Order: sequence, then C-alpha cells, then structure tokens
Amino acid sequence: MVAFIRELLRYRTEFRIGLALVAVVLLLSMMASFSPYPPDSVYVVPPDLPPSLTYWFGTTSRGQDVFWQVSFAIRNTLLFGGTVALVSRLVALAVGLVSGYKGGWVDRALMSVNDTFIVIPLLPILVLFYFVMRDRISWLMLALIMACFGWAYDARLIRSVVMSLRQREFTQTSLFSGMTTRQILTEEHLPYVVPILFSTTMNNMVWSIGLEVTLAVLGFTDINTPTIGGMIYWANQHTAMVAGIWWWIAFPTIAVIMAFIGLFLLAVSVNAHIDPRSRLWSTGEAS
Amino acid sequence: MNDLLLDVMEVSKTFARGRLLSREKIVAVNKVSMQLAAGQPEILAIIGESGSGKTTLARMILNMETPTSGRLVLDGTDLAAMGGNAARLAFMHKVQPIFQNPFESFNPLKRVERYLLMTRLRFTGAAGESTAAVAVDAALHKVGLSLKEVGGRYPHELSGGQLQRVAIARALLAEPKLIVADEPVSMIDASLRMSIVNLFRTLRDELGISIIYVTHDLATAYYISDRIMIMQKGSVVESGDARTVLKAPRHPYTRQLREAVLLPEVASAPAIVTPNMNGLSPGAPERRA
Amino acid sequence: MHASVEQPHGDQEAQPLLVVRDLQAYYRTSHAGVRRGIRAVDGVSFTVRRGEIYGLAGESSSGKTTLIKSIAGAIKPPLEIVGGSMEFAFLSGYGGLHRAARAELERIRWRHLSYIMQGSMNVLNPVRRVRSSFVDFAYPHIGGSLKQFEQLVVAHLARVKLDPSVLTAFPHELSGGMRQRAALALATICRPGFIIADEPTTALDVVVQKEVLGMIRGIQRETGSSVLFVTHDMGVHAHITDRLAIMYAGRLVEEAATAEIFRNPLHPYTKNLISSLPRIGEDAPRAGLAGAPPNLADPPSGCRFHPRCPLASEICCREVPVMREASSGHRVACFAVNGGDGA
Repeated sequence: MVAFIRELLRYRTEFRIGLALVAVVLLLSMMASFSPYPPDSVYVVPPDLPPSLTYWFGTTSRGQDVFWQVSFAIRNTLLFGGTVALVSRLVALAVGLVSGYKGGWVDRALMSVNDTFIVIPLLPILVLFYFVMRDRISWLMLALIMACFGWAYDARLIRSVVMSLRQREFTQTSLFSGMTTRQILTEEHLPYVVPILFSTTMNNMVWSIGLEVTLAVLGFTDINTPTIGGMIYWANQHTAMVAGIWWWIAFPTIAVIMAFIGLFLLAVSVNAHIDPRSRLWSTGEAS
Repeated sequence: MNDLLLDVMEVSKTFARGRLLSREKIVAVNKVSMQLAAGQPEILAIIGESGSGKTTLARMILNMETPTSGRLVLDGTDLAAMGGNAARLAFMHKVQPIFQNPFESFNPLKRVERYLLMTRLRFTGAAGESTAAVAVDAALHKVGLSLKEVGGRYPHELSGGQLQRVAIARALLAEPKLIVADEPVSMIDASLRMSIVNLFRTLRDELGISIIYVTHDLATAYYISDRIMIMQKGSVVESGDARTVLKAPRHPYTRQLREAVLLPEVASAPAIVTPNMNGLSPGAPERRA
Repeated sequence: MHASVEQPHGDQEAQPLLVVRDLQAYYRTSHAGVRRGIRAVDGVSFTVRRGEIYGLAGESSSGKTTLIKSIAGAIKPPLEIVGGSMEFAFLSGYGGLHRAARAELERIRWRHLSYIMQGSMNVLNPVRRVRSSFVDFAYPHIGGSLKQFEQLVVAHLARVKLDPSVLTAFPHELSGGMRQRAALALATICRPGFIIADEPTTALDVVVQKEVLGMIRGIQRETGSSVLFVTHDMGVHAHITDRLAIMYAGRLVEEAATAEIFRNPLHPYTKNLISSLPRIGEDAPRAGLAGAPPNLADPPSGCRFHPRCPLASEICCREVPVMREASSGHRVACFAVNGGDGA
C-alpha cells in the first residue's frame, strides 16, 4: 500500500494536485475545532461585512463569521460523505467478496438484491423520506439511507474482480493448503480489491456530498446543522446574491468545489494506475 | 472397497453452452472408469489433446468439479457424499494437486512459505509454527530446495522450476496418498524439465505416493509412467501398460498421436535446400498493379 | 538514405538475407528511483541465408523473444537497442527496422517481411471476416482487380488445405489449427523474402502441429523465402529447420546445421538439452541440469553458463567466450571446446 502510494506520487501529476486540494480542504475543516464561536449561534459578529483582515471571508446577514461557518460546514459535509462511503464500502465489500467467490445461488440471490438497489431512483425516495420524517431527520440517518443506495455498483465491480481471482490457480493452491473461505477472501483476495476500494471511496464521496448539497439547498435536510448545502440554503433565504453579499455563497461553493475536484482527481489517478496497461505506459515513459 | 485408492465409476461430465433457447450440451467426459490400487504406488498418465476431457477428469478427481453422472470413490469416501469442512479437509489430506503454471500457483502478493506452513498446520496437526517449519524444510529438501533458499521470497523472485518444486513440496506436506498433476512440466524450461519429471519417480518409489500425470506429451509419459490412458473427445480409447501401449499402439487414434510425435533427431539430414524459384522470386509478388 | 529492393542472387553465401551483428538490446527501467538494465540480448551475431529455415532455440529467459522483437523493429520503451546492427537484403543501409520510416515499413510489411505468431488472433482481426484481413494487408501489395485477387487467395488457401469458405468466417469460428493455417496463408501470399515465425505451432495439438509444420516447409520450398523459426521445442527444430542456433541467457552459444547439432552437440548446454529429451522406446534415465537460468539483470561474469556447467574452469568465470568455428559451419562459444585462450 505504501509502495502503491509512493508510485502514484511519482508518476501521476493528477494524484499530486488532487492530494494537495484535499489537504487544503481537510486543513480548513480541522480549523473548526479552534472556532471562537459555536456554529449555531447567530449575531455573534456584525452582519453583512465584506472580506477583510478581521473577517477573512466576510460575515453573513445572520451575524456569523463566514470563515468559521465554512470550516464547520465543510467538516460536517466531509464527515457526512465519509460516513456514507465507509458504510457503503463495507456493504459493497461483503456482498462483492461473498457473491464473487461463492457463485451459484448465493451469487444469484445477492445480485438480485444488488440490481434492485441499482434501479431504484434515489432522489424521489429521499424527498419522500423527508416528508415522512420532517424534523426528526438527522444527518446520520440521511447518511445511512444514502449508504444503502451507494454500494450496489461497487459491489458488482468487486464481485467481477473476485470472480476472476477465483479462477486463478493460486486460489486453488490456497484451498488445498487448507485455508478457510474467510481466510482466502480476506488474506488472498482482499489485497487485490483494496485499490478499487480506495478509488471508489472518492467517487462515492463526490456522489453523496453532491446529493447532500442538493437536498440541503432545497431545504430537505436538517438545516440547523451547518453544512455546505445548509449555508447556501440560508444565504438564499436572505437573498444574499441580490443584496450583494456574494461572499456568503462564494466561499462555501469554492470549498466544496475544491473538495470535489480533489477527490475526483484522486479517484481518476488511482483508477488509471490500477489499470496495468496505463501503469506500464506511464512508468515506461518516465524511465 | 479397501483395496482401491481411487475408484472412478462410469463418470461423465457435460457442460451446457450457448444462448438461452438454443442450449447445446458438450460432453467433456463420457463414461470414464479407472482404478488405482491402494498400497501399490504407481504413475498413471492421462494423455489427450485439447478438448479430450483429460483436465475435466483430473478436476473431478480433485473434487473441483462434480460429475454429471457416475461415482468417484477415494480411499473409501464417496466424493458426492462428502459434506462439511472436516470431510473436505480429510479429502485434501489424501489428494493434492500440482498445477500447470508455476507462476500462477502462488499469490504474487504473498510469500511462498505461507502456503507450505499453512498446509502443514492444517493437515497434520503440527504443533506450532516451529515444528511446522522443520517439516517444511524437510519437504523442501526432498525436492532439492531448502527453507533458507525459499523463505521470505515472493513468487516472482523464484524461477519457474523452483516454483514448481515448491508446489510439489507443498503437496507433500499434506502427506497425501495421491497427487494429481495437470501438465506440471509443460511450462518448465527444457533444461529443468527432466529434474522435475524425475522427482515424480522419486515420490512414487520413496514416499509411496501414487501420481496421476495429465499431459499431452507422449515422450515424458513414456519416460515416467507405469500405466497410461489415452483420451479422445471425452472417452478413453486405449489404456494399459505404458510401454506396451506406446510401443505397439492398437487404437488408430493412439497410432496417430504416436506418429505425430516429433522425434528430437533429424531423421534424414535434409539436403541444403535450393529454392526452386520457377520465376517466383521472393520479394516479388506474382502480380503487380 | 534510400533503401533499395534487391533482386535475389544466385550466390547464396554472398547474399545473405539478414545479417545481425553484435546486437545488444536491453530493457532499461527506472522504478522508485532505482535504475535497472536487463541485458536480454547481449552481443548476438548471426546470418540468415536465402531460402533457408534458420532455427533459434532457447528457454523462457534466454532473450529469444527480445531478439525477434528487435529484428521485427518492435522496439518500445523500456526496450532499447544499445548496440549492433541488423541488415536486411531488402532494406540496406538502415541497420535495423526500428530506424526505418513508417512509410518504408508499410511498403516492406507483408511483401518482404511477414510474421506467423503463436496467437494468430493478433494478425486476423477478431471482429472482421477472414477475407477482410487478406484484403487489408495483402491486396495493396498485389494489386490487380479484386476478383483476380480473390482467385489468388483461394488458390493460396488450397495450399494450406483450407476451403474458400473460411474467407467468410470470423476467426473465432475456426479451430486453432485452421486459424494458424489462415495466418500462414496470409503471411505467405505476397511471397515475402523473409518470414519471422515465433512459436507458430506451440499452441496446437501434436497431430495438427505436424501438419502445419509440413505446410510451412512446403510453402517455404516453393517460394524460396527465408524463415527465422523460433521455438523452445527441440522436436520442432529437428523436424523443420536447416540450421539451428542455441541461445542461452542473452547470447548465442552454438550454431550449426540442425542435423549436426543433434548428432554432434559441442556446447555443454546444448549437449544436456539434447541428451535430456525423452524418447519413446528408450528407458535410460535422463538428467536435467542443476541450477536455474540466470537473472539477466545481474548475469554471471564471464560465460553466463559457467555456474551450471560441468566443464567450467577458472577462465570461464573471468572471460566471455566468443563464437568460433569448431568445424566447417559449426560455431560454438565455449572455452572447453575452443581451447582456453579465448582470443
């Protein structure tokens, strides 16, 4: 894994840029711990001030410092994306490994569930869910619902990799060495799946964060927890663009775009690097 | 029952191929029967070309494939009736495979001794890693290697010949009664091939292990096997003592195979070929635009 | 520089088809800061005469694949031609196909130089009918009307005992033997002067293999092409090649008429290679060689065979033996055979 990342750093410019962007966004989100104000308090600073040396990103019409708000918002948004990614990766991994290795009726049963999740349209379900739950909806609940919908494609991907690994002779050697199914899956096959897990994590986070921002902007989430979407929602409520308070919308948007591009570049470069043909090409050219 | 190590009774295997509606059945193995006697180690060669069903038969003996019909009994255990983990382990304790491609036989991301230790610990109840390591070293010595040479190495750090030896050592660690080797030397370099082939003979004579040697190569089959079985399109066309069958083949297919073997000597030294040009010179096509 | 197309010459000795001189082809990689050179072909010289089948035998890491790649001009990083030259009779003055311009290569391919590979799928386009492969590759070199061309193809297919109906088939609909025969027909229809055959029968079953070898021989005799025939299978070499070179760890160790190599091998490696081959009807035990082929990233000093050689002496570890003529037409690179001076 260390060697893999070192190789990426060496041969992939996209990876370096992506890593830098993600690092900046992470740093910003970690600043939240040092915020002088609690995130949900309003009118703690004079409202509607443009960016200055005192208030780097300006202040909102609700009397909040945009810098600290963005910091909290991006932290919550990343946490949300991370939770969705983590939970959905675990499900995808379990389903993909078992389905690909066991084959037969286990595979057919798991894949029919899998395909059901692929075809169900997500946005209407989420909106419906909001109207049923109303105020009781929390970000964790939303994250779990999205995780339920975020694993199916990647489970298929992992399944196809494991299916081809199962055909290889070393799997038979492992079997005839007396390894159990769990050992073969976690010790022999998992190392081949880890890079896929890594790259799909980025894609999954981009997907879930985008969806969360969309829902929040529309007001379909818990708007009292500051998230990027939540900030834009409040800015819209106070007609920030019309009032010329552009910094209220610009800074959260820039932060989330940086996170998007960073994660996307990481995913793309890892993906390209997993493909052995392009890997040979890039390392060959660099030599 | 007890006097047979392996009893294959009228075993068939068909595969379905094709689209949903126009399914065609391919008979890979067609009613094959064969026996190996217990307590009488021998090398049995299964010979055939691609599509003869020899590999499918070997996979059925290894319980990697279930027969469509017929029965396989190994050392008193019916393979079809075998259920549960303990029974599977007991089966693999008796039968071990050697595969064709030594570079594919071990996970490229793992050190090879892992499989050796695992095999020892799982099948013989060796107490602890250190006792197992002693046994691993002993098994490696039997194949002309040592734990010192192999320990800590990844597959790509060893040559094809070395890896195939490690694969054999791994099989030996389970203390099997039968080894099924599918084309074990076809990917081994010529200068190393005979030492691997000779190793099979040593296993039979010194360790009393029976070997099923699956191959397309009549010459090595003649060299090491006691009995041979010629397969064509899923059926056994001729079988018997290796020397008798190969010296005087009776079935036309065996004769055809026997005649197709390219002898490693020039039968009659070809005269220096003088190209017969007939106006057709190389580099000048017959017609030009 | 203009490459001239030379007409065949009566005197074969004076007009070899391919002369390879002191060829060195290395793989140069740089991985995580560590530069490595794999000396896959290191100082190989030989000559392919007109109208002969020149065999090249070697194990998996002997460098024979790299040698063919170099001769075919398929040089892609990390492979590099470090030294030496390859002169073709039909393309003089370049020192190798890898230096020729693209247009020059297009002109030469199929007409002067063609290939028969192990996987004929590489030549026959898998998603198009066999006919289109013939039209795409051979028609531009032959010309005339398409109808005449088709007649020529059908006549040529008959030589490899293929029915004209294969032209309308897709490659995957043919058996391995039929595919390989179609590839053979495609490689020879323009009557090229030089054919590179890389393990052309290795993937075939023995009965089909013998048949295809016979066809290669037949067509080669008829067209007078030269063939560079590469395989690890000594039985195939015995069956088809006129002269044979043995390659070990990136260098040639012996070269002679094929019959001579089998009758009177001189190099200790060749000797073992031939004596270890099992034969039906002979029960004497055969011994393999001890040790393993060397790692070409760090080859042994001197003669690369010395760690496994029963005849190795002190000079073998120190100096590189050169190919010298032991008898007429029989070259060998071994101090034990040539005498210890090595000069």
